[in-house]
Amino acid sequence: MTRRRFWSLRPASTGEATDAILANLLLHWFPARMRLTSIAWTPSFWLGTVTWVLFVLLLLSGLPLMVFYVPSTREAYQSIKDIEHVVSFGWWIRAAHRIAAHLMVIVVSLHLVRVFLTGAYKNAGQREQHREWNWVIGVAMLVGTLLLSFTGYLLPWDQLAFWAVTVSMNIVSSTLLVGPAIRDALIGGREIGQTALMRFYLLHIVVVPIAMAVLFAYHMWRVRKDGGLARGDAPQDAAEVVVAIPAVARRVTVVALLTWLVVTVLALVIPSPLEEAANALVTPNPAKAPWYFLWLQEIVADTTVRIGSVAVNGAFIGGVVLPMALLVLLTLWPWLDRSPAATVGATLPRERRTQVLVFIAIAAIVIVLTGVGLLRGPSWQFYWPWQPWANVPTRF
Amino acid sequence: MARVTLNAGEPGRRDVALLAVLAVLLVGATAWLVYREAVPEYRDHQRQFGNLVQRRLGDAAATAVPAGIQQLWVPGAGRADRCPSCHLATAWRGFERGDEPLRTHPAGMLRAHPTNRFGCTLCHGGQGWAVDRERAHGHVPYWPEPLADASMAASLLPGAGRASLMALNCNACHRYETATAGAEIINRGKRLVDEKGCRACHRINGRGGLIGPDLSWAGDKNPEQYDYGRLSGRRSVFTWHEAHFQDPRALVAETVMPSFHLPPDDIKALALLVMSWRRVGVDASLLGDLPRTDSPSPQERALAAEMERGPGAWFVKTGCYQCHPVSVFGVKSPTPIGPDLSTAMDDVERRFSVPVDTFVKNPSGTMKAVFARQFMLSPAQKDEAVRELRAAYAEFQRQQAVMPAAPARAK
Amino acid sequence: MDGDSQTRRSFLSRLAAAAGLAGLAAQGGILVRSCVPNVTYDSPSTVKIGLPESFADGLTFLPAQRLFIVRDSKVFRAVSAVCTHLGCTVHADVQQLTDGPDPGARPHLQVQQFSCPCHGSRYRADGTNISGPAPRPLARYRLALAPDDGQLVVNLTDEVGASFVLTLS
Repeated sequence: MTRRRFWSLRPASTGEATDAILANLLLHWFPARMRLTSIAWTPSFWLGTVTWVLFVLLLLSGLPLMVFYVPSTREAYQSIKDIEHVVSFGWWIRAAHRIAAHLMVIVVSLHLVRVFLTGAYKNAGQREQHREWNWVIGVAMLVGTLLLSFTGYLLPWDQLAFWAVTVSMNIVSSTLLVGPAIRDALIGGREIGQTALMRFYLLHIVVVPIAMAVLFAYHMWRVRKDGGLARGDAPQDAAEVVVAIPAVARRVTVVALLTWLVVTVLALVIPSPLEEAANALVTPNPAKAPWYFLWLQEIVADTTVRIGSVAVNGAFIGGVVLPMALLVLLTLWPWLDRSPAATVGATLPRERRTQVLVFIAIAAIVIVLTGVGLLRGPSWQFYWPWQPWANVPTRF
Repeated sequence: MARVTLNAGEPGRRDVALLAVLAVLLVGATAWLVYREAVPEYRDHQRQFGNLVQRRLGDAAATAVPAGIQQLWVPGAGRADRCPSCHLATAWRGFERGDEPLRTHPAGMLRAHPTNRFGCTLCHGGQGWAVDRERAHGHVPYWPEPLADASMAASLLPGAGRASLMALNCNACHRYETATAGAEIINRGKRLVDEKGCRACHRINGRGGLIGPDLSWAGDKNPEQYDYGRLSGRRSVFTWHEAHFQDPRALVAETVMPSFHLPPDDIKALALLVMSWRRVGVDASLLGDLPRTDSPSPQERALAAEMERGPGAWFVKTGCYQCHPVSVFGVKSPTPIGPDLSTAMDDVERRFSVPVDTFVKNPSGTMKAVFARQFMLSPAQKDEAVRELRAAYAEFQRQQAVMPAAPARAK
Repeated sequence: MDGDSQTRRSFLSRLAAAAGLAGLAAQGGILVRSCVPNVTYDSPSTVKIGLPESFADGLTFLPAQRLFIVRDSKVFRAVSAVCTHLGCTVHADVQQLTDGPDPGARPHLQVQQFSCPCHGSRYRADGTNISGPAPRPLARYRLALAPDDGQLVVNLTDEVGASFVLTLS
């Protein structure tokens, strides 16, 4: 057989399949061969790949938004109005960017839950593995995702943006000793204005995306180094290995297309809101965080502690101490987990029952608090989804 | 050694089918998206207007009908009004009887306010940024400046047209005029401000008392910043002002503002006027030769100067005359909302059951607020006030003795 | 594997590839199309530039419009200051003159020539190109009087011939 001059998506032999991987930059990402179980839909649900596709979609949709967006407190709001109303497809591009961002928060969180439940941060193989470090990188990327979302919804400089910066900067500055300095570094002063917008803009379009890209590359490299999808020592069935081209490439394409389709359609049917222009004189009622921060909003509202005459602001306990403790716990979890390596890949093994219950309890608290936050209406009151909010005052 | 196979067998075949389905769906979704973008609302209006012009004015004229989004960029107000994308006939003659959005704009108003300098929304309200009817007309969440249209006028000002509602927008620039042609309801409000003496307590356009809040920019106060606790029914700035002018104490328990017992039309005029006192961020170049300040009329100033030379000079210089006439000294009040001070010696005893000197030192009711916030008299000045009031009463009694049939103050 | 399923599979993969590429191309096109603006915030092309009396005899440069107004008592011309080569703003090499024997007369600027700083094009005082890479004379624009307040109005989209002048009555 003559060697093909170019790589092929339909190799005639395993040798040719390997050539394809070596000859193509994109395909070179894949290992030459993979187990059939690793490319199965379960238990991974391909959540990591979906996240990656969403990240790429965010980069692509972000480009035209950057063309029209003006990072100035005087013009940002108007430039969003322009994108929404007179830029061709601007409304859809903005909606796609927003939907992809929301989905990324969901999918990253589900990815973390999946990895935890299958104990995939544990090292089970014979060769040297450091899956626990990939877990740490994953936690860092979860934080990065939230940071991207946060800096993103500040940019329109509407009421939501302005008051979100106000609240979050007060949380930051409540940190002992270094808080005010961090706040000043983030917003370039004590008042929220042009300097703050410019810094958040740069964080959103340069600093965090680049950090995410680097972390992501490292994340993937570690997955390859650690032998792909974590699993227990299942019997080495002779029939279960396929060459990556075309099987894996094809399935990645399926996942990418599906993600892309979902974002396209959701962006068509869910319009992106834009509140009134930022006004430092009026706090909107209600001033609600986006859904993924609602649990934090609930916590900061409930954790102001009074001991005698001393009151400790919920901003510090609920906004700094508790989230940080949770983050540290999450980061260190692989080292706290003493269950045997054999539990990798197993669902709810007896050896991990306690820690799984703790994890689920924490997740349940976050979900319940989020649900409580969703039901908040004007004046911090509760409203069922079918209840209209008490009449919100208007001008006329 | 694991056996390596070239393709994934059955799952692989399913993936190919899945790929085909997803790709076709994606093409469908994208086609839907392109379709939505390709049929904006203004396209129908532009086509319709093109046909209309062609029928009435011929092919040559029809080529002048624009296509695509039309924008009036008003740098002087920081507004980009896309209204002409649908409202195509505004500048054309011959469509005066047409239906909106294809109707000629009355020419008179446009001569003083050409659209290329003023745009549309400065006068009409609405969200000029948008190009679809619902959001452009601005009766949507998060748009505080909805279009002053007939239906809104019908609900807020029954009987009055939308021009009355638009007068609110006129007055953002015309606020320092005493009367503005065409803004009848606002003119009525301005007359009431003078007649009822609002300036005795309130600073308006930078001039007036300190007892009530400064109203110069009251229209900028946000709906969230009003207290609706005692307001029944719909909550809006307009309804709040309506109820408040009706009976201030019903909304604000601790207020010293009296009820003026105004008819509903006057109340609506005042509510609109107060709401019109807002900053619209308009460049001085758009204001032309409109007055930029509000000063007392020459008559008012002449009267004050004349009275300052008379026997009641003290009451004029101190400022009492702003609300109180002192008829025995010939002191007239521009806004006589307080009782005549000629008979204060009697009045105070009767109404507050304390002698005048006690009342002046330690007043109650409205005068408590007046002495606390606006006329902060020293003890020596208060003694002087009592002396002056006694002198006025002595003069009253002297006049009574001379002409017992002519009471100084009609009861 | 029978031939039928083989054909079906190859049809499906071709369909998938074609549709996938079509979707990709269409959405790529959408992103590119979005960058073409539908509205602009350019300054207006018809501008009032002031009352005729406010222009001295000779040459006046209006930087915002990149325009020379040339006045010869009652005759006005608007000459573009945009070089016809590549769009730089030309310099007017001028000489200051005083009118006639009257020592109290307003001094005015008389053009010697226009020269472009970018690539050395030169134009005569009437705007004709004489040397350098400039392919055409400087543009002239239509001048008119505003009916409402009598200001000069220039239309920067309405180019006129060299013979066009606005003569005041």
